[in-house]
Amino acid sequence: MDIGTFIKIQRLKKEMTQEELAHGIVSMSYLSKIENSRTEATPEVINMLCARLGIQLDGDRDITINEKCEQWYKSLFEVNNRAKITTDYEELEQLVGMMRSDSLIMFEIHKIRYFLVLGENEKALEQINKLNDMSKSFDNLHQYYWYKFRGNYNYLQGEFSHAMKMYKHAEEKQQNHLMLSEEEIADLQYVISVTHSKLRNTLESIKYADQAIEVYRKYYNFFRCAQCHILLGISYRRIKMTEKAIKHYNLARHLGEINKNNHIMQLTNQNLGYLYTALGEPEKAITYFEHIYADENVKQTDRLTALISLITEYYDIRNIDKTRQLIETAVEWLELIKDDVNYKLYYYVTYTYKLNIDKQYEQFEELVAEKFIPFLQKQRDFGHLVVYAKMLAEYYESTKRYKDSVKYYKLVTKAYDHIANL
Amino acid sequence: MKKLIATIACSGLLIAGFLFAQNSAVVDSAAFEVEPGILSVDGPESNA
Repeated sequence: MDIGTFIKIQRLKKEMTQEELAHGIVSMSYLSKIENSRTEATPEVINMLCARLGIQLDGDRDITINEKCEQWYKSLFEVNNRAKITTDYEELEQLVGMMRSDSLIMFEIHKIRYFLVLGENEKALEQINKLNDMSKSFDNLHQYYWYKFRGNYNYLQGEFSHAMKMYKHAEEKQQNHLMLSEEEIADLQYVISVTHSKLRNTLESIKYADQAIEVYRKYYNFFRCAQCHILLGISYRRIKMTEKAIKHYNLARHLGEINKNNHIMQLTNQNLGYLYTALGEPEKAITYFEHIYADENVKQTDRLTALISLITEYYDIRNIDKTRQLIETAVEWLELIKDDVNYKLYYYVTYTYKLNIDKQYEQFEELVAEKFIPFLQKQRDFGHLVVYAKMLAEYYESTKRYKDSVKYYKLVTKAYDHIANL
Repeated sequence: MKKLIATIACSGLLIAGFLFAQNSAVVDSAAFEVEPGILSVDGPESNA
């Protein structure tokens, strides 16, 4: 990173204006040129500006701080102790803030990941916006992480196409002679595989999961191995290779059991449940979803996922009393996850069934046609779009509103085309 | 008279359609398939 960018970061960090920093040292326009790397200032000017910013330039200390930073970066990728990550962050924030080195820019970029790990997505976005202007001066390694973490952010916002674009930029950087560890490359392959799965690019998802799992096996990273098995299970189910899908789910479950990882075991149950739903065996699916619903150690959103899956299954076998009872619980639980990225999707699904069961057809039509389907279109969630556009088309057909019915059947066909990448 | 018969016939169709909707399943099954997360095991992300 050049000195101009460094000065700019430090100034913004201290919330100083250009006028305040330049006063008595250089003109404001000259400072602007320094910050934007359009001129090279003399060492005296640099020293004066750094002194005003409260920074000492010290090479040896940079090395120690670099090492600390490297450890902290690693901790952002492990099954982590969040309290420790936060303490280390606070310490590094002080240390890095006083020095000039490439560590600073790398640290600033890793802050995006840090906020995402803590679930503070708004702060992550603020950090992205703060760095956006100076990103042109990043070197290849900085750009690799810059794109990868922006991809992480987009993914967590549910913007999967954007996330994929970012990951592909990161992959280009990685393939351009960048020296990265095998585990780092595997992590990128893993997130690309998950994102392909979200976009229903099934074969691509398999390709990247296969590459990642090979590295994770080598490093005995059981947790990531299990996650790759789940991804492969989802992909093979989608291309109707059911036995292979079940085999991968069983491997994931086995890894979950031997590592006593409840999250992995319940995630496997959720997907095995779905597999039996897709096979038209709702009773079998229900047993898997019930496991998760009954487990109080599971995160609220994951329990709600199982609960809503149960609603759809009980409805499917026409156990209306049970469906009604579960919908009541879902309405209560929705209140607890209002900030969750899946809140809207869960809300719409729950109320679609509720209005249907309560025979409030006008409200049902309004919700699905005017809110739910536009929402799914915006999210490019073609899987759910097929289900709910078809549902609405059938509803219109049953009420003899054929023109409306055709409109939504056409939408179903379009959504299928997207899924099949036609 | 013809107009009246036609109106009654149309209303009949509408009523029949409405009753059909009331008695039949309007929705399909739509459980959730869930990808694993992209951060870590205890991360704040939600995966559906």
